[in-house]
Amino acid sequence: EKNITLDSATGIELSCRLDSKYFHLKNLQMTWKRGNETIEHINKTENSWGIQLKILDNSKLGSYSCTLKGEEISAIFHLQVPKIEGKEKPIVSYEGDTAVMICKSFGYTPIAWTWYRTNGSEQIAINDSLLADKYVINSVSANVTHLKILKLTREDDGVYWCEAAFELGKSKGKLKLKILSFMVPLKPFLAIVAEVVILVTIIFLYEMYSKKKCAEDEKEFDQVEQL
Amino acid sequence: PSANVGRAPGPPDGGWGWAGVFGAFVSIGFAYAFPKGVAIFFKEIQGFFGTSYSEIAWVSSIMLATTYGAGPISSILVNRYGSRPVVIFGGLLCGIGMVSAAFCTSILQLYICVGFITGFGLALNLQPSVIIIGKYFLKRRPIANGLAMAGSPVMLCTLAPLNQFLFDNFGWRGSFLILGAILLNCCVAGALFRPIGAATALVKTQATEEGKDALKEEVTKDAMEMSNPTGVPMETKMEEEGGKDCCEKINKYLDFSLFKHRGFLIYLIGNVLMFLGFFAPIVFLAPYAKHIGIDEYSAAFLLSILAIVDMIARPTTGIIANSKWVRPRIQYFFSFAIAFNGACHLLCPLASGYTGLVIYSVFFGLAFGMVCAMLFETLMDLVGAARFTSAVGLVTIAECCTILLGPPIGGTLIDTFGDYKYMFIKCGAVMVLAGTFLFIMNYYNYRMLAKEEKERKAKEEDPKSVRTENEGRNNWNKETAQDGPELEPLREEQEGLKKEVNGT
Repeated sequence: EKNITLDSATGIELSCRLDSKYFHLKNLQMTWKRGNETIEHINKTENSWGIQLKILDNSKLGSYSCTLKGEEISAIFHLQVPKIEGKEKPIVSYEGDTAVMICKSFGYTPIAWTWYRTNGSEQIAINDSLLADKYVINSVSANVTHLKILKLTREDDGVYWCEAAFELGKSKGKLKLKILSFMVPLKPFLAIVAEVVILVTIIFLYEMYSKKKCAEDEKEFDQVEQL
Repeated sequence: PSANVGRAPGPPDGGWGWAGVFGAFVSIGFAYAFPKGVAIFFKEIQGFFGTSYSEIAWVSSIMLATTYGAGPISSILVNRYGSRPVVIFGGLLCGIGMVSAAFCTSILQLYICVGFITGFGLALNLQPSVIIIGKYFLKRRPIANGLAMAGSPVMLCTLAPLNQFLFDNFGWRGSFLILGAILLNCCVAGALFRPIGAATALVKTQATEEGKDALKEEVTKDAMEMSNPTGVPMETKMEEEGGKDCCEKINKYLDFSLFKHRGFLIYLIGNVLMFLGFFAPIVFLAPYAKHIGIDEYSAAFLLSILAIVDMIARPTTGIIANSKWVRPRIQYFFSFAIAFNGACHLLCPLASGYTGLVIYSVFFGLAFGMVCAMLFETLMDLVGAARFTSAVGLVTIAECCTILLGPPIGGTLIDTFGDYKYMFIKCGAVMVLAGTFLFIMNYYNYRMLAKEEKERKAKEEDPKSVRTENEGRNNWNKETAQDGPELEPLREEQEGLKKEVNGT
């Protein structure tokens, strides 16, 4: 199985080469298929069968497979648009703060970027000119896009999509935003501060106690000496 | 010991001292590991503020520079107030710095809060922790030093996953808030630094009757300072009685007369040279591994191996350095460790593949731990516990420059030649050079010390009566006074050591 990434219109040749262990088979025939559709015009050379494809739009992308007639051996080529990576772990931010979400395309430059917000089961495009004081979209470079969300509230929590448009199609990356209230980190903070205060107090009390004991012992010692 | 008024008690070498070692462990751990641990947040913060990576990396550099550069200030404060208040204040400062960093709205504010304030707080933690060990230990000091310095790799191993966990759950702002609270634990470490030396006040009252104001000032400072073991602490201050008043005043806070001390100068030059090549290999180990084709996780694992070996190496080195064969020649052991470190780096380019790098990491961790464990021990050995406070401040500010220069120079070498091996060769060469320099100079130093010992013995009659006699003190010259305290108790305890010192 092979994944081939294409971002713009191009001609491509796919070929399947037969391994030497199958040479003993008579009547070798290779078929090329895309889904259920069979492709004619196979270029056959000594041990390989190839097809020429002109990929001009999204409809030509997909999975192409070559199968050896009679046997179950096949190879699959997946022609696809470049994948966009989102973030697996949620981005954590706080109410009233700003969140910045970044999407990158590796190696291929998209024509345009669009951001979507998931509301229930729907995806709503984010229009930053409409809500300019809430969303700011800018691209540092053509391969990178930033979505800045200002004045975060609880409702901003959820899944966001960044979509890159290529000549041959679109590709999405998923990002999760998690909004916390400031009380959430405050609790461990106060717990640790309390622990510090308690430990310091214990240490100082122990010190005063052992000093007192030492002073008492010394007094006894001096008295003994005087005798 | 209170029965013998003429002889001040030596440092406890145990008892509450071990609690102090634990406190130093925590404090030193935070001071060294925290700047490295914060780097986990940088990627996110960089995206948040929309800055370049080098602008973010400045945060770490400022923090490191402040931690080392504020050394003299730390020393002055310890000379004046003692270790405990300084560490507690340092812990509070760290906490305040990180908590205010959680509310920062610009990269400049981050520089100030995380870089300066927290860095300064860490500086106030680092120096007193190292100093307090010298006050509590003499015979077992190398072990105590080794254990305390082991705090650095342990804290690093703990902080790295902890920071990642905090970041995943609380984002960078929440993490900074919680890290501020965690840094407050330095105050707990500081609370453990119980001042000692109240008993030595008995000896001091005799000296104050002399009537010399300068001496009185020196001596009361000494009583606060918790001086070194034998009863000759006054002598170390005596050398300043000939100097001007303002010089004495400055030297009271930060002992600049150390620059006339032969051992100190040797240590300073050797160490400044060494630090040029000390940290760069660690910084570039993971990138080098990725460069030769190793995947990210295995590359990170190399650093973990390094940290684990480091963790074990430090206390072990402390124990070895404490043994009676090594202790009198500890400077040689230190030079050997540095040269060994350099040899590792020189051989690194020969390592091929992952196995080679793993072996390199193991040896590097070992060498790194050995050097770090003895870093402050050797300074204490040369300078004596009384002047160590000022010495450590002066040394750290001198090291500050080379520490900051080391990785960027290495980076420039890598960028220029496109190959990591020149960086390793440079680091290895610098360290072998430093090790050799220290070895030769310390050989010379040991011989000079032995010669001065002989001269001193010829002049004095009874070491114990000097403390109560005025004349005896005046005859002692500066050099013997500083180094004598180091060697005397060891000599009195073990005959073998005595022969060693006089024989070289």
